[in-house]
Amino acid sequence: MTDTSTAPGQGFLSIRGLTKRYAGFTAVDNLDLEVPKGELVAFLGPSGCGKTTSLRMIAGLVPATSGRIVVGGQDLTEVATHRRDMGLVFQSYALFPHMSVAKNVAFGLEMRKVPKDEIAKRVKEAIALVHLTGKEEHRPAQLSGGQQQRVALARALVIRPSILLFDEPLSNLDAKLRDEMRNEIRDIQRRLGITAIFVTHDQSEALTMCDKVVVMNQGRLEQLGTPVDLYERPKTAFVASFVGRTNRLKAVATDGFADFGGQRFAAPGDLSGPVEVMVRPHRIALAPTGGEGVAGTIMRATFAGDILQYDIDVAGQTVSVELATRGGETVLAPGTTVALSWRPQDVFVYGAAA
Amino acid sequence: MPAAVAKPRRNGLALVIALIAPIALVNAFGFLAPVLNLARMSFYEVEPTGTMREAFSLATWGKVIADTFYAELIVNSITVSLGITLLTLICSYPIALYLHRSSGTWRTILLVLVISPLLTSAVVRTYGWIAILSENGLVNNLVSGLGLERLRLMFNKTGVVIGLTEILMPYMILALLAGFGRLDPRVEEAASTLGAPPFTIFRRIILPLTMPGIALGCLLCFVLAVSSFITPKLLGGGRVFLLATEIYDQAIVTLNWPLAASLSILVLVIFGAALVLYTRALRAIL
Repeated sequence: MTDTSTAPGQGFLSIRGLTKRYAGFTAVDNLDLEVPKGELVAFLGPSGCGKTTSLRMIAGLVPATSGRIVVGGQDLTEVATHRRDMGLVFQSYALFPHMSVAKNVAFGLEMRKVPKDEIAKRVKEAIALVHLTGKEEHRPAQLSGGQQQRVALARALVIRPSILLFDEPLSNLDAKLRDEMRNEIRDIQRRLGITAIFVTHDQSEALTMCDKVVVMNQGRLEQLGTPVDLYERPKTAFVASFVGRTNRLKAVATDGFADFGGQRFAAPGDLSGPVEVMVRPHRIALAPTGGEGVAGTIMRATFAGDILQYDIDVAGQTVSVELATRGGETVLAPGTTVALSWRPQDVFVYGAAA
Repeated sequence: MPAAVAKPRRNGLALVIALIAPIALVNAFGFLAPVLNLARMSFYEVEPTGTMREAFSLATWGKVIADTFYAELIVNSITVSLGITLLTLICSYPIALYLHRSSGTWRTILLVLVISPLLTSAVVRTYGWIAILSENGLVNNLVSGLGLERLRLMFNKTGVVIGLTEILMPYMILALLAGFGRLDPRVEEAASTLGAPPFTIFRRIILPLTMPGIALGCLLCFVLAVSSFITPKLLGGGRVFLLATEIYDQAIVTLNWPLAASLSILVLVIFGAALVLYTRALRAIL
């Protein structure tokens, strides 16, 4: 898949044809990616899509089968992990349990033979940056999960890595802490202008935190783009259904048009035969019968406070519709017939998966 | 037991006593009583004819303390056992680390291989070592075949150390594995990304995290080495003097039970010292 946002060779981190094959399956298949300096890029996808393997290849923890990894013009593909100068924040924190917080943070600087007084200064700064001042002498086991992840972040940041890598760093935290850490990581990354890769299976994490998102599926790059690109202009059925929620409706295309419930949609390219039509639930408008649009029958109505959710039967298929409540609307009873309508740009048509 | 759940404070102590009582009783009859009996026996008198008489005499203890032979015996036993323990650790550690990192069927096969020597008795394995180490054994035939001078590998400390090291390795490997719980591949990877080369990762991360296993394995092997007598007897050929072999000789050959008893008490003291050192070491590690 070609990428429109950055031309090859333009990135600070440049990944070319990166592939990882294991006996019997390909974990990462020919990944091309350019990451400009200072950007935060998410690797988003379901488990087993190759996002973590890609990250581990960038860090040098997994050798690549083929392809190149270039950082700042230097080819690192064959360079050992400990000479790559990358910071990695693990899902499981991976702190050194036998060392204090300060010792954990100092480790990378000691490896770099930084003078003692400078180590002390930088460790103090890094610990202050993640709001853990006063916890210097604690052991990791004495800290909460969130605090441990902050130590891991400080430990990765203090070495001023060329690239900061995050491997699902928020998955082990509870929801409230996750939001907090999300903002904090974003703030720190922006303030320090660090180029970073953020692996996640959580689409809201990818959309809210990152400048660009790489959606991966079965080892392949499905789409690279800004969060808005992915949401408003998904290139594949997979992206449309993985990023945000959507109705997946079956239809048949002929002569470049898909027919669904008596309405015709422009199908891209020369699609013909079975296709999938996708519309997001909150981009559908409802009108009483007789209005313009596709006719359907309400099967179920659910009032959820901020939204009103309908399951509507349209020619044998269920369409989910969500309306934001403004107060005063009547909840339509099951059995009511309605007309569904949407703007052309909110509808995506893809060839049906075999 | 709902009552215990409802009133943990009142029933806690009773429950603890009830749970400890069986093992305490077994230990009292099976261990404490014989040891006390042994301690008592070390004060018995031995007549010139060799008969033992119930008495309270300090003669045996006086001999043990005054005769430098026994001091040498203690020092010898401790140093040889420490040497064996260290060698066993060095030989077992890589195996244990590899086993810890392997998985699936391969791990099961390796574990069975590690444990399988325990299925044959130490006596049989010692005779195996005799076949390998003796004057006309495997090693010496190979050495002389190469035109080199034959080595003295038996009837000295070398033989005892080689034999016991191999015999104790399964115990060491299992103890190490039991103590490797804190080792986490992600932690090693973290050290690597922070710039630590492989040997530094070993020194700064793997070694400290495996210290509990090392301490446990060393305690176990040291205790087993100090108390083993068959292997030192056969491979030492009566020329390696250790506490355990001396106790065996005094009890079975010379029939000087008070002396055997007093030496046994000394071994117990050494065990006690080893245990104290172990708990101190553990406290320092954790």
